Amino acid sequence: MKHWGILPCNGLDKPVGQLAREIALNLAQDQSKTLACPVLLHSAPSVYAKTKEETQWVVLDGCNTRCASKLAAEMGFSVGKKINVTKLVEKENLNLGHSLRLGPEELALAQRSAAELAAALPSTRTEGEEEAAVVRDEKAAGETDLDFPASLTYTEFRQDKFRFRVPEGEFFFNENDCWVWVRGTRARVGVSDYVQQSLSDILFFSPPEVGAEVEQFGVLGTLESSKAVFEVIAPVAGRVLRVNEELEGSPERVNENPYEQGWIAEVELTDWEADRELLLDAQQYLTYLKNKVADFHV
Amino acid sequence: MSESTFMGVPRAKISWAPVIDYAKCTFCLECDKFCPHKVYEVNREERRLIVAHPEHCVVFCRACSKTCGPDALSFPNKAEVTERIKALRKEGA
Repeated sequence: MKHWGILPCNGLDKPVGQLAREIALNLAQDQSKTLACPVLLHSAPSVYAKTKEETQWVVLDGCNTRCASKLAAEMGFSVGKKINVTKLVEKENLNLGHSLRLGPEELALAQRSAAELAAALPSTRTEGEEEAAVVRDEKAAGETDLDFPASLTYTEFRQDKFRFRVPEGEFFFNENDCWVWVRGTRARVGVSDYVQQSLSDILFFSPPEVGAEVEQFGVLGTLESSKAVFEVIAPVAGRVLRVNEELEGSPERVNENPYEQGWIAEVELTDWEADRELLLDAQQYLTYLKNKVADFHV
Repeated sequence: MSESTFMGVPRAKISWAPVIDYAKCTFCLECDKFCPHKVYEVNREERRLIVAHPEHCVVFCRACSKTCGPDALSFPNKAEVTERIKALRKEGA
């Protein structure tokens, strides 16, 4: 049975870093959670070798340099939850100023954020509960009104050591390498092989909110590796009906197959006919992709 | 290098590229190291990063801003850019 650990930004030199540390301290008041020192982890990873295997980590990045995320990736930590404090501060419309000492407003935000984060952490499961959950998850995975094909056939090509697949059939793509498969007024959305090859090992998936309205070319969640954060650019406008919850625990499914088990979300379409005009069909995308990977950088 | 059209519209007609807030930029160059499309150029004498090739920037991509610790990069409004692309397509740009 895994328990939760906390890996914060060290954050001594920036207000957002100080806030990340404060959130971590609030979260660590619950003694069942391990608080990792990022500096010690970096210089003496063996100290955390045993803890690492038994722990699901909450990663707290102060700024977009994402030191804590990168360290978690480097150490092979299993990341269950993460927040970016810069984004949190933006959302709260808070001006942190330049002082490294946190004021009452920041301290209150740290307390509130830690409480919300703690409430959002799934409780750890026993082995028996894990088995029951797997059955439920498999059932849930099959529950959809979409008649998505059980298996797909692909056109493949290679560039150096990389293999790129484009599924045959009723898939449409935007030029930001995201696909959509439509049935009636509903659709499934995901990313292409180009995205997963560019990112390498995907370590974290931030899903869009179920019920959220998304414009065409809006953001349908993010995928994150040690290399980069990729915004999933919606190929269609619509309301998010469902997200692939499996990706939250197993984001590597996107690397394994971004068209099948690595799909991102399902949406209720707003105006498919209008969206369609700005998309490529599978054959057009294949041509586009071949040209693009001629300049492939990893 | 970057494609010369985006959704059938000449790339040069689409206004999409990062804007650097020099009051925040710390010249760490993480964005330049990250971007494979050579959007940026570095003026080392003046310690200044420049958006030298905005037309190389992939339309709707904001990935470099996710590497920016001081949050010094911003991008145009996506909805407005999408509308502009649709209008250009209608004009047969």
